[in-house]
Amino acid sequence: MECRDLLKKLCSIDAVTGREDAAAQAISGILSDYCNEVRVDAFYNVIGLKKGHGENPRNVLVTAHYDQIGLIVTGIDENGFLRFTNMGGVDPKTLAAQEVAVHGRKEIHGVIGSKPPHLTSPEDADKPVKMEDMLIDIGYDEKQARKLVSVGDVVSFKFPVLELKNNRMAGRSMDNRSSVAALVEMLKELKRIRHRDNVYAVATVQEESGLVGAFMTAWNLKPDLAIAIDVCHGDMPDAPSDESFPLGKGVAVAVGPILSRHHTRACMRLARRERIPYQVDAEEKDTGTEAAVYSSALEGIPTLLLSIPAKYMHTTVEMVSLDDIEAAARLAARYIAFRDELDQEGNSND
Amino acid sequence: MFDTISTLVNAFGPSGRENRVAEAITHLIKDKVDEISSDAMGNLIAVKKGFGKKIMLAAHMDEIGLIITTIDEKGFLRFGTVGGVLPLISLGQRVVFENGLTGVVWYEESIESIKDAKPEKMYIDIGAKSREHAEELVEIGDMAVFEGRPVQQNGLVISRALDDRVGCAVLAELARRCPETDHEIYYVFTVQEEVGLRGARTAAYAIRPDLALAIDVTRTADTPKSRHGAVSLGKGPAIKVKDNSVIAHPAIRERLENCARENGIPYQLEVLDKGGTDAGSIHITAGGIPSGGVSIPTRFIHSASEIVNLEDAGNALKLLETFVKL
Repeated sequence: MECRDLLKKLCSIDAVTGREDAAAQAISGILSDYCNEVRVDAFYNVIGLKKGHGENPRNVLVTAHYDQIGLIVTGIDENGFLRFTNMGGVDPKTLAAQEVAVHGRKEIHGVIGSKPPHLTSPEDADKPVKMEDMLIDIGYDEKQARKLVSVGDVVSFKFPVLELKNNRMAGRSMDNRSSVAALVEMLKELKRIRHRDNVYAVATVQEESGLVGAFMTAWNLKPDLAIAIDVCHGDMPDAPSDESFPLGKGVAVAVGPILSRHHTRACMRLARRERIPYQVDAEEKDTGTEAAVYSSALEGIPTLLLSIPAKYMHTTVEMVSLDDIEAAARLAARYIAFRDELDQEGNSND
Repeated sequence: MFDTISTLVNAFGPSGRENRVAEAITHLIKDKVDEISSDAMGNLIAVKKGFGKKIMLAAHMDEIGLIITTIDEKGFLRFGTVGGVLPLISLGQRVVFENGLTGVVWYEESIESIKDAKPEKMYIDIGAKSREHAEELVEIGDMAVFEGRPVQQNGLVISRALDDRVGCAVLAELARRCPETDHEIYYVFTVQEEVGLRGARTAAYAIRPDLALAIDVTRTADTPKSRHGAVSLGKGPAIKVKDNSVIAHPAIRERLENCARENGIPYQLEVLDKGGTDAGSIHITAGGIPSGGVSIPTRFIHSASEIVNLEDAGNALKLLETFVKL
């Protein structure tokens, strides 16, 4: 499958953070085409193993979380409207007039209403609406709604994947399906390269609710090297230039205190050698990604963070470039395969 | 149930100083379990042996409190908060120290609005005549907790520290009933929940259970203009869907719902956007432990006058009893 179609397929899967149970099989099916074995753990982390060809293979972990932000029903009011709160980081101002799917007894369409400007007083017009004041309208009255929907049902955003100019794709869940796409593309690339090490390609759960899947995965697999793939902020008007990265200019390699200096430098050296476009992402804090977990898990795991620039993060119009996904995939695959020879080069050059 | 709750809420036990609560619980259950011991952090762990799955049931012993940071020249005590103490609702409250000394929380009268009453603008008056006098009665680092005797009224309990002594009481009563089960049950009374779900983490690491439940309180939406979820007092224990620290494992939540439905136990579903429980640290321990929660609906959490319904507590006990037999 081409990267474009793969990403479309991945984005069509619903996996609201904490309710990945409904999606694990679909993710597992996609990974299994490129792995020797795939299993799903008790928390629905999907763990693919691509075995190494060398003697004494080490274990390399590469993860991309596959959960997505969403909503959860907190109550059903006397008119059949659904009250809700967020699952993961949702910005209330992006919610008005969105189309949603309520995952109740069956999947139900709904919309988040918004008061028309005609009925809004001038004082209220500029005020932000709080999430607790918003409601999902599924068209039913209370009695009918309660037959299909219960408190605790999760809600996902509906938005088609849009193909834009210049290899750009937009939609919900590009955070972090673009990285899952990179994980799969990396496995494809590894089919073409002889590699010594066992590669655990893991699509992790509950990143958006506290890096939960990463804690479990680090403990369960105890890798020698961890590579987290996630999105970073794409360059947008008004975004601080040191925290955002242009789309289409390559994978962002993170540099900072929690990341392995040795592996980061070697990885960038490899990118230059292989002419893989990359950008440098200076992360002065813990990055807020799964890399933060790996680097201090167990006895400490040397960790790399590769990021795909995504504009408008945590909205339904997150935008990425296919070129950056491919760059991330190629860099991860090649680093896994060639890191030992790079070490030898590095010793003479550094 | 009221007597057990009453015994446990009367024990002094802010985070890090839970030993009196542990003593009271030990006294209640020691004859009914196979092993009982305290770990290095102070968690009280009681085991009923079995050959099936290891099930960890956790309720936290600690309560919120105040800690003395300085004593001024006139003998007034300045304090910091231990756990989520709301400054405004502390005003005018009586607090009590481990040695039985009573104090009153008040604020500097120079503040413009009572809304500006932050802990640093507040103090505890123990009636001392001077710093020296105060130092004879307390020392820096001593902790105080809210006063608030338990009252039984209309099937409700009004009391201090129901968060989470009501959970401890339910768990202690469960241990006393010795439910017949093949599973190995760990009754864990944890420490330091209010300061970051800390005790449960080390207990879960030591036990490595196959699954775990936190028995804690949850806030209600049945008071005037409250919009926090959909839980009411008296409509049964709440089966946790999520809080801010954990999303209940879908299989655990389903098993609890099935237990309730099949045994005609009323229940509600808890979706809490603020606050956490011991399950938050348990579920990410040692490669992941499927976890969930049974919560007792509680009004006015973290005040000196929390309210629970005794039937809810009784139904939580029934629900757990059927759950551990599965």
